[in-house]
Amino acid sequence: MTNGIARQRKRHGAGFDARRYASCFLGRPARLAVLTLTFALIAFPFYWLATNAFKLPQDYFSQPPVLFPTRGTLQNFTEVFTKYQVGRGLVNSILIASMTTVLTLISGALASYSLTNGILPRRTRRALMLWFLVQRLYPAIVFAVPVFYVISRLRLMDSIWALILMNTSFNIPLAILLLVGFYQDVPREVEEQAVLDGCNLFQRFFYIATPMVAPGLAAVGILTFVFTWNEFLYAAILTIFKAKPLTVIIAGFITDRGLIWGPMAAMGCIVVVPVLLVIWGAQKFFISGLSAGALKE
Amino acid sequence: MLIPRQIQNTFSDRMLSWAFLLPVVAILTVTALIPLLYGVYLSFHEYRLNIPGARPAFIGLRNYASLFADPFLRQSLRNNLLFAGLAVPLELALGLTLAMLLCDAGKLSRMLTTLLLIPTIIAPVAAGTLWRMMLDRTYGVVNYLATLAGLPAVAWLAHPFLALLSVVMVDVWQFTPFVAILVLSAIKGIPDTVLEAACMDGASPWQVFRHVILPMISPVLVIVIMIRMIDAFKVFDTVFVLTQGGPGNATEMLPNYIYRQGIRFFNVGYTSALAVCFIIAMFLASWIFLHLRNRMLLRSR
Repeated sequence: MTNGIARQRKRHGAGFDARRYASCFLGRPARLAVLTLTFALIAFPFYWLATNAFKLPQDYFSQPPVLFPTRGTLQNFTEVFTKYQVGRGLVNSILIASMTTVLTLISGALASYSLTNGILPRRTRRALMLWFLVQRLYPAIVFAVPVFYVISRLRLMDSIWALILMNTSFNIPLAILLLVGFYQDVPREVEEQAVLDGCNLFQRFFYIATPMVAPGLAAVGILTFVFTWNEFLYAAILTIFKAKPLTVIIAGFITDRGLIWGPMAAMGCIVVVPVLLVIWGAQKFFISGLSAGALKE
Repeated sequence: MLIPRQIQNTFSDRMLSWAFLLPVVAILTVTALIPLLYGVYLSFHEYRLNIPGARPAFIGLRNYASLFADPFLRQSLRNNLLFAGLAVPLELALGLTLAMLLCDAGKLSRMLTTLLLIPTIIAPVAAGTLWRMMLDRTYGVVNYLATLAGLPAVAWLAHPFLALLSVVMVDVWQFTPFVAILVLSAIKGIPDTVLEAACMDGASPWQVFRHVILPMISPVLVIVIMIRMIDAFKVFDTVFVLTQGGPGNATEMLPNYIYRQGIRFFNVGYTSALAVCFIIAMFLASWIFLHLRNRMLLRSR
């Protein structure tokens, strides 16, 4: 009955690791096999994307496909910047994502602070929180037609401000739900002390609370940046020519020009790499942000 | 849920509280509330933007009635339900398995968890492009590897049912890691003492999983199912890039159908009716799920 434990104890001595024990719930060889398979399934597509971006046309059109290319070129990348307006797309994506992040953080932090520490009628507070919770449920498509109409009436069609506005609107509910949690973690005594020192709401927000929730702001900022960078639907609807971000350009590439693998892979790399860099630098924030956003109800 | 602190009730604090809310309320009103109301208004009208000089004409519930008679809508709904019915259980099962296999604190697990982030964070458009390249019938590497392994080369994106399976596969590839990460957070939240106690009682790893871990993370699992179910009815990017709803209508999902009606055919009134029904359906679904989860939480107390 205590067989497994005895074996573990013998192997690890007093430091018995229950989690390691539980993680082998399918047996140790199966665990290794599944994890190896998972690694292969995740790593191979990216390997494929990266190698195709540097292949010569003979290689990427070859049949059977070249698994281990022996020669490479940068011509796909140069082509993509000169012939397919990826340069402009990159600039648009960067501008849209960063401005959205800034706007979302500022407006979200202000609103969250007011919800946690401000003087508001109880029903208003409840109604607003409900509104923000519910905003996350709508599929984006349901607003597409009215928004198209509103934006074209506001003469904002094909301008990055339309996208900045819409993306901010998409990210605000999640930002508020997360930031409210972070502002609530600021100890009450700190706030009370600030009040005793004569701070009003804004001073407490700006000088005391916000510096303390900086990691939370970082997490929300990263999530917002990544979601906005990846956004496609409204970018496709609200842009015609000069405001197109990378996601629209890459999708248009497939539908208009058929399938030229090299440049497509190069474009794919350009869309994917910045996000990977951002995440690599801040994985902890991203994971905590993702989990908190999903599990905080 | 939200425990407000109202530390100091001065006039300036009250004014500032409202002022702080202003940016968010302004943005959401313009970009969400007004379009919502306008959409509901339009749903009772006939309005086609592709006819020059057209103006909305009130037709009452006729748009809603057309919903029931629309064969393409029924096909999209069927496709979407099939997609959700395949993708969500797969993502849940695989994600749960992965999370369990990675729940220890070893180096291998930490490295793989970081790697898991990658498919989830890339743009769905990029994932769709990538898989479009790999699933191509003649030049795609998937078929090549299949032939190497002795399996037949298949027309992944040209055959109606296979195309749907391909869309499911790409979604599972991209979001199983997301499920795994969420479930992993939940498993890490289980106190070590509980797990050790279970092992003390001589449970095998499978029993620890089945009788200790699983019940404790079931509220989180319900939330994850809800999120993935709702997301399954929001897929647009992947389908758009992978198959454009083809071949024929075989992979057209609800958002793709609404997009076609609204942005391609400019049938604004009908699209708005579709949108309103969609919103109502989403509401009901979320409400049911949250209800389920609350009951589960109460039961585990």
